[in-house]
Amino acid sequence: MRSNKGTWLLLSPGIIWIMLFLVAPLIMMIYVSFWTQTTFSIKPDMTVASWVNFFSSDTYFGALLRTVRIWFTVLVVTILVGYPVALYIGQFIKNKTLQTALLVTCVIPFWTSFLIRVLAWRPMLGKEGAINIVLQKIGIIDAPIEVLLFTELSVIIGMVQIYVVFMVGPIAFMIGRIDGSLIEGARDLGASTWTIFRRIILPLSMPGVIVGAIFVTVMVLGEFATASALSGRKVNLLGNIIITQVGSLKWAFAAVAGVVLTVVMATFVAIMLRIVNLRNQL
Amino acid sequence: MDKVVSLRWFLGIFTAAFVLFLYGPFIVMGILSFQQGPEGGPQFPIIEWSTYWYQHVFGLAPPSRIAPLPIGEALIRSLTLAFATMVVSTVMGVLTAQAFRRPFRGSGIVFYSVILGMIVPGVLLGLGMVLLANQVGIDRNWWSTAFVLHVVYTYPFAFLVMLAIFNRFDESVEEASLSLGVSPAKTFRKVTFPIIFPGVLSAMLFAFTLSYDEFPRTLFTGGSDVTMPIAIYGTFAVEIHPNLFAFGVISTLFSFSLLAVYGILLTLSIRRQNQRASGLQEDIT
Repeated sequence: MRSNKGTWLLLSPGIIWIMLFLVAPLIMMIYVSFWTQTTFSIKPDMTVASWVNFFSSDTYFGALLRTVRIWFTVLVVTILVGYPVALYIGQFIKNKTLQTALLVTCVIPFWTSFLIRVLAWRPMLGKEGAINIVLQKIGIIDAPIEVLLFTELSVIIGMVQIYVVFMVGPIAFMIGRIDGSLIEGARDLGASTWTIFRRIILPLSMPGVIVGAIFVTVMVLGEFATASALSGRKVNLLGNIIITQVGSLKWAFAAVAGVVLTVVMATFVAIMLRIVNLRNQL
Repeated sequence: MDKVVSLRWFLGIFTAAFVLFLYGPFIVMGILSFQQGPEGGPQFPIIEWSTYWYQHVFGLAPPSRIAPLPIGEALIRSLTLAFATMVVSTVMGVLTAQAFRRPFRGSGIVFYSVILGMIVPGVLLGLGMVLLANQVGIDRNWWSTAFVLHVVYTYPFAFLVMLAIFNRFDESVEEASLSLGVSPAKTFRKVTFPIIFPGVLSAMLFAFTLSYDEFPRTLFTGGSDVTMPIAIYGTFAVEIHPNLFAFGVISTLFSFSLLAVYGILLTLSIRRQNQRASGLQEDIT
């Protein structure tokens, strides 16, 4: 039997690392958001000026609203697109090897550089892009669709493709765990396919949806690269605001945007964690 | 029953379309990487098939108005950083997961603070780290401020992988070894480690690939010597050329070879374990 001291000895490198390089920077960010910002410098005199500035400025507050809107759209779309795929992999494929192979197929793009994945959408969506060419060849459209690239739509398409895998994985995992005899039993008792889905599969897969939603949320809210690459810097999310503010050494504004982002994210994750205990699902 | 069959077909077609959606951009990118150079742009139609842009990436193409990608030193830095991150985060992940095998007070809060490292968006952490470094008066470098954030990011992955491994770990083997008088250190080396090795390998793979590709955390904290993803990001601002696509294809192939090495190592370790187990059995009978 190892002593309690041994446990803390094993934990100490991790705890120290997290304290110094995760907790301290985040506290510093909150602290700096109350500093006084002038054009060329920043002073540690406490003020709420940057906060007032943030919420009264159309640029910043607008970016917050846009960020929330895009995040919510991406979240809903990833659930709508990811759930059927997860259902197919988890319920309709009985062969374990094939199941794993399909999941691996979904994960493989994850092993390509993130920036390259974003960039790959450019020749796809452009005015002379692959989608427009194909649609024109089949004769569905006469003129190329121009709203595909450098709009909010392109940002959403790009984000859905990049992050949907994080929705499919957890849901497929939960659906795959459902006891087959439960469904057979329900069917023997005369339950319709819809009833089985609504009463058995949906509730049992809910933890997967929640975990997926948490993944997608934290990743989309922290995004800026997809937005700047696929919108031609027209769509500015809070992440982009942080980048520009840091670029012009406006540390206090950047910190305010960072804290706002953290609050939005933490609120959502806390609500989700009330519904499902992440640790028990492992 | 008909309903189920049609549902199966619908979902099957939906999944196929989904896979096409995931891979479409790569296929297009792969095709366009063979665009004619240096005049051919990053769009259709293909003027003439050529490997010009691949030569361009490796610096073999005759000089043109399109600047070569700033790889080379950036690549070395990225690989060094990924390797260091892999070693540190895997060791810490194993240690922390080992501690979690016994219940202890405060385990919930430790668990969630470790997990926080992979959840907090890179931009926020990068920003916080820069502010902290400014305050303390530390220079920003890829091997210092960026490195510690890479570990914060990859260590939770290593920890979770090891936790899952230890959850399925048969402790009686270890206890048997200890009760036979084998020292704890030797027990870890000879008994525990071979069993958890596949997990360690997965943790290493995660840490290496995540760090190699890491971008938002490095953007602020990396200093003036750029890593690979930052170098790529730098080319975003200006006009893009098919050399980025060629580079994308090459780096994808590199990732796959890494994945293949992982697969081979894993198979070898499982086979060796099976052999050892059967050898042991022969000894006993």
